[in-house]
Amino acid sequence: MSLERAVTMSAVPRPSSQDGAENVSFNGVERLFRVSDDSAEVAGLGRIDLDISKGEIFCLVGPSGCGKTTLLNILAGFDHPTAGTVHVGSDLVTAPSPDRIVVFQEPLVFPWLTVMENIAFGPSIRGVPKSRINADAREFVEAIGLRGFERSYPYQLSGGMRQRVALARALINRPRALLMDEPFSALDAQTKQQMQQLFLDVWLTHRTTTLFITHDVEEAIFLADRVGVMLGRPGRIAGTFDVPLRRPRDVRTTTTAPFVELKAKILSLLWKEPLPK
Amino acid sequence: MLLVGFWWLISATGAVSDSTLVSPQQLAARFAVLWEKGYQNVPLVQQIGASMLRTLAGFLAAACAGVPLGLLMGMSSSARWILSPMLALLRPIPAIAFIPLFIIWFGIGEFSKVLVIFLSSFLYITITTEAAVYSVPVGWQRVALNMGASRTDLFRRVIFPASLPGIITGLRIGLALSWALVVAAELIGAQRGLGYMIMDASVFFRVEDVYIGIICIGVIGLALNGVLSLIEARLCHWRGR
Repeated sequence: MSLERAVTMSAVPRPSSQDGAENVSFNGVERLFRVSDDSAEVAGLGRIDLDISKGEIFCLVGPSGCGKTTLLNILAGFDHPTAGTVHVGSDLVTAPSPDRIVVFQEPLVFPWLTVMENIAFGPSIRGVPKSRINADAREFVEAIGLRGFERSYPYQLSGGMRQRVALARALINRPRALLMDEPFSALDAQTKQQMQQLFLDVWLTHRTTTLFITHDVEEAIFLADRVGVMLGRPGRIAGTFDVPLRRPRDVRTTTTAPFVELKAKILSLLWKEPLPK
Repeated sequence: MLLVGFWWLISATGAVSDSTLVSPQQLAARFAVLWEKGYQNVPLVQQIGASMLRTLAGFLAAACAGVPLGLLMGMSSSARWILSPMLALLRPIPAIAFIPLFIIWFGIGEFSKVLVIFLSSFLYITITTEAAVYSVPVGWQRVALNMGASRTDLFRRVIFPASLPGIITGLRIGLALSWALVVAAELIGAQRGLGYMIMDASVFFRVEDVYIGIICIGVIGLALNGVLSLIEARLCHWRGR
C-alpha cells in the first residue's frame, strides 16, 4: 500500500459507545485480485458469509495464502470487498476506525515512544484528556504485566513484551471488534504459550468480539469459542466448529480429550486441501 | 598519534625531501606563527572563521530548504513527480561546475561562494530526506490510521519521528560536503578563509601553510561531524545504539 493510499483512507471518529462489543457480519463478501495489469481476475475470496457473535472469539485457521488476512483487512477497512458488505453492529465498514483495532504479526510498536506513550497512542491522538489516558494506560500496563517498564523504550524489551504492548495499545481504544492477525506466530513456543494465556486473561475482563487469524490449530482451539477452517483458491470457509471447552482455560486444557478430538477433526478438514504447488 | 609518529620518522630520516614532506616540528612552529601573526596579516582564527561562516550559512540554508522539500516529496507523489526530474538533472553536476556561471550572474561576492556550498548540500539533504520518509514502514502508518490519526497526526507522530534518523544522517553528510566544498567555493576571488589560504600558499610554494590549511580542514570537519553525532544521539536515543 502506498503512502498516498494510506493517507486518503480517513479515519472515522469513534462513536461514543461504551465498552461495547458488537457482532460482526460478513455478507456475501468477495474479493477479486488482478495478478498483473493484463491478466484475468483471480478470486482471492469466494463468497464469504460469516457471523461472529457479540463477545465471541472466532479463530480462523488455514494454510498461508488462503485469504485469511484479506478477510481481516476487509474487516479492518484496509482493503475493500469487490462484492458484499461487512457490518459491525449496524455500522457498515468502509474505512479503518478505532472501532476495529488490528494487532499485527509484528508488534509495530513505535520505537521512539515509551511503553506508556505507545499504549496511550490511540486515545492521545483522539484528544482524550491526559488524566484519563494516564489512568487508563496504567491499568493496561498492569493487565499485561509490564509494571516497572512504563518508561522503557521498545529496544529495551523482548519480542514478547513488545507484542504485549501492542495488545494493550489496541485494547485501550475499547474497540467493538478486535482483529488479531497471527499476532503470536513470530514468537518462540514458550512465549507464545504465555501470550495466549495472557490474551485470554485480559480478554475475559473486556470480552471484546475477536476475529483471530492463525495457522496454528492448537492455538485456535485454545483461544476460540468457534474455529473456522478456511481453504484457498478461492478463499472460502470450509467448516466451523464449536469449541466445547469451558473458560477459564489453561495449559491443561490442551491435553483434554475434547481438545484433542476437535484438533483431529480440524486437521482432517485442513488436509483435504492439496498442498500448494 | 601513530600516524604523526610515522610521519616524524619519515621526515627525520630524510627519506623524502623537505619540500615534499614537511616535518611535524616545522609545522608546529609555523602553526604558532600563523596563529599569532596570521597568514597575510590575517590571523588563522579569522581565516577559519571566514570559512566556517560561509559553510554554516550555506549549510543552514540548505537544511532549511532541503528538509521541508524532502518531506514534501516523501509525503506527496505529485510533488515527487514534479521535483524528482529536476533534482535528478542537477545531481550529477558537481557544484564546482557552476562557479563560472555564478560569477557571471552574481559576481565574486559572498553570495556566489555561499551558493556553491548551498547547492551541493541542498541536493543531498533533499534526496536523503525524501528517501527517509519514503522508507517509513507502512505497518506503523496503518497502526496510526487504524487508531484514528488524521493526515497531520500521521505526519507529526509517525512519519517525522520515524524518518528523523535518516534525515539527521543526511544532514551530517550534507555538512561534511559543505565543509569540503569551502575550498572550491573560495576559489571565487576570496580574500580570506582556509581555502583561500591553501590556494594562495600553493601559488607561492608555502608548503607548510598548505599543510596547515589541510589539517585545519580535516580537524574541523571531524569536530563538526562530532557535534551532529551528539545531536543525533540525543534525538534518536530510542534506537538503543
